[in-house]
Amino acid sequence: MSWMRFARVLTILTGTAALAVSSVAQGVTDEMLKHPPRDSWPTFHGDYTGRRHSPLTEINPGNVANMTLEWTFQTQQNGSVKATPILVDGIMYFTTPDNVWAIDARSGHTLWHYIAPPNKAFHIGQRGVSMYKDKIYYMSSDAHLLAMEAKTGKVLWDVVVADSNKGQWATMAPLIVNNHVLVGASGDFDNLQGFLRAIDPETGATQWNWFATPPVGTPKTTSGGNIWMTGTYDPDLNLVYFGTGNPTPVLNGKGRPGDNLYTCSIVAINPDTGKLAWAFQPSPHDTHDWDAVEIPVIVDAPFGGVQRKLLMQASRNGYFFVLDRTTGKNLVTTNFGLVNWTLGVDKEGRPIPNPAKEPAPDGRLIAPDEGGMTNYRSPSFDPKTGLFIVSASPSFSLYFSKPADGAYGWAGADYGLWSKGVLEAIDYKTGKARWSHELGQRAGSGVMTTASGLTFTGDSSGNFLALDTATGKTLWHANAGGSIGSTPITYELDGHQVVVTSAGSVLYAWKLPPSLTVNSKSAPSSK
Amino acid sequence: MITFYSKRILPTAFCVATMLFMVSTGLEAQNAARPRPVRPPVTVGSQGAMPEHTKFTESQIESGGGLFLQNCAFCHGKDAGGGESGPDLTRSKLVASDKDGEAIGVVVRNGRADKGMPKFNLPDSEVLNLVAFIHSQQDKAMSQTGNRKGVEESDLQTGNAEAGRRYFEGAGGCTKCHSATTLAGVATRYTGLQLEEQMLYPRNVKSTVTVKTHSGKTFSGTLEYQDEFTIGLKDASGAYFSWPAATITFKVDRPVEEHVTAMTKYTDDDIHNVLAYIQTLK
Repeated sequence: MSWMRFARVLTILTGTAALAVSSVAQGVTDEMLKHPPRDSWPTFHGDYTGRRHSPLTEINPGNVANMTLEWTFQTQQNGSVKATPILVDGIMYFTTPDNVWAIDARSGHTLWHYIAPPNKAFHIGQRGVSMYKDKIYYMSSDAHLLAMEAKTGKVLWDVVVADSNKGQWATMAPLIVNNHVLVGASGDFDNLQGFLRAIDPETGATQWNWFATPPVGTPKTTSGGNIWMTGTYDPDLNLVYFGTGNPTPVLNGKGRPGDNLYTCSIVAINPDTGKLAWAFQPSPHDTHDWDAVEIPVIVDAPFGGVQRKLLMQASRNGYFFVLDRTTGKNLVTTNFGLVNWTLGVDKEGRPIPNPAKEPAPDGRLIAPDEGGMTNYRSPSFDPKTGLFIVSASPSFSLYFSKPADGAYGWAGADYGLWSKGVLEAIDYKTGKARWSHELGQRAGSGVMTTASGLTFTGDSSGNFLALDTATGKTLWHANAGGSIGSTPITYELDGHQVVVTSAGSVLYAWKLPPSLTVNSKSAPSSK
Repeated sequence: MITFYSKRILPTAFCVATMLFMVSTGLEAQNAARPRPVRPPVTVGSQGAMPEHTKFTESQIESGGGLFLQNCAFCHGKDAGGGESGPDLTRSKLVASDKDGEAIGVVVRNGRADKGMPKFNLPDSEVLNLVAFIHSQQDKAMSQTGNRKGVEESDLQTGNAEAGRRYFEGAGGCTKCHSATTLAGVATRYTGLQLEEQMLYPRNVKSTVTVKTHSGKTFSGTLEYQDEFTIGLKDASGAYFSWPAATITFKVDRPVEEHVTAMTKYTDDDIHNVLAYIQTLK
């Protein structure tokens, strides 16, 4: 561990910013994480459940058509923003690979900008930072965890989570639970062991490791199972839920017979001990790169006539699952688009892979494609309608693997043939779509719903969309002129609701015009 | 708003689809227009002649390797040999035709929105270093002998052409739009995996659209833009028109969608058999 790597921090702390930020700002507390205030979006998902559902109602189906631009923020970076910003005490923190910004949520101007030292890791995306007390936690592309002073962006400590030179790098926003910063790594091109690690938020010391797969080199076993994404947490059961990545070698499963536990799995882990409570595997013996890292969404809702603690996932392999999150027992398994790779579903609710659909020297036609029926983009659950809303990509591809491709890393080749984008609103009780909304080509936006009955997402043409959650009908749109790669958030600022979206490398903040909100309460709620 | 989509395929749409199936993509056409050494189509691999390009320095290649890892490797693989969603660049015709970045640089800077590749706003020197690395990887791959990673034309010869012809003319329903005559020469223009990809879902095929405005005027042409809110077309003279989708009625013909329907029905054997048949249409 190096105390301070070379880093450049641009600090532009102005008097105006100091005024705008409340002097009683205390950062993020345990209470805030469990019950996020209306004037915050303090974590990647907004709260511990991963539902991406906000209680705010000022912007509603009747007035959303009037929503207008408040400000934009130009990152002036290559590549698109894939981060979910967090909002704490009127300050927004977000990332692109190698960059972290703190900006004033009132004006969109920069307070500080951290630039990571040059590194050769993959820069495919960065999902955002997390905050606990007065510190920001950032996973660098080369898989270091950095603790930064939230006020200034100054790096307080920097620990190596994985060796990026060996092929493990990072994209995730850490999950903060109790006194733990929970992180994992990413990567497919090397046969590496996936893990979840708990790190002390004060010191950076490792508290425990949970390994998804056996040590690399164990005969007849798999490697892989990387934790790419931020998990969810049930404080009552004291369990965190994470999806794990695909096994490696990726397209060649011959050297790793069996189910390849715990790859492509949803795992429930005690955050204080690192002990596995249960696991459910959406893709046994995967040979198509369909990790199961899509968000494990926590919902308390009736099922079969009784209130249950549920967990739902729309998985990359094309299946939607509802589980009992206390036990991991499966309640619903359905596909949410065309799949052609299974022989059915087993008695535990897991899809049964068809061996004839494993990648082959002369190719196999597979639905969905390798990008999957859905991917890292967040879905949303709307409690009022009972709809699980996910941006889906029905698709076809050709998968090849032959002995010359070897048994390391990708170990084959696959070629997308066709795909499209459609927002599916799935009734969680039946797994059947209640409405579908065409999005053009494969779309990159996640989904957020609000208690007023709105669904925010985006299409493949760069349109931000606000839909009526009950019907899927479009109520508002604006073309951002770039591809959308993140999930919208919302919060209250100075008594009024703000929606933040991104497209390309630009952030956009939206709200109702003052003429429509004059009767709303106007007392600043964060002071 | 009234939107209507027809299952019926217009005769003009047949022609457009067939024509576009036969002609190369715009990019290939551009490259073909540029003078360069004659190389056999598609077969970039151990069987081809070594490509000719500018000699790059070791430091350019090394620096390009670092940039490639950061920006390109996730999709194109660490060794440029293909990976998650990005094609194998060591088999790329465009790379093989490139001398010193004039073709690769365009793709890096502009991206390929239709295939999901973003554009990269890098300084010229960095683009050139990337070009150096990609060329070095292709040279390395092409100088390999024996079994190569990736898909060779010889891997795709497991079908039965006669069974493929029967499927093409029968259960496959291909003769609704195509015949051996309209597809004559397709196996000369495309070979190997590219032929199979074109067969399963031809890329860059334009749809046609007919728009009726509220005042009763009718416009027809190729569909240039469509989202939920806007319809744009190019008429026969090449002029572009667009309308708010809610203010018109319009009818889009997408004959290529028949290929999506076909993919829901094919067995893998059917695909290999039809490919074997298509390969006879030289």
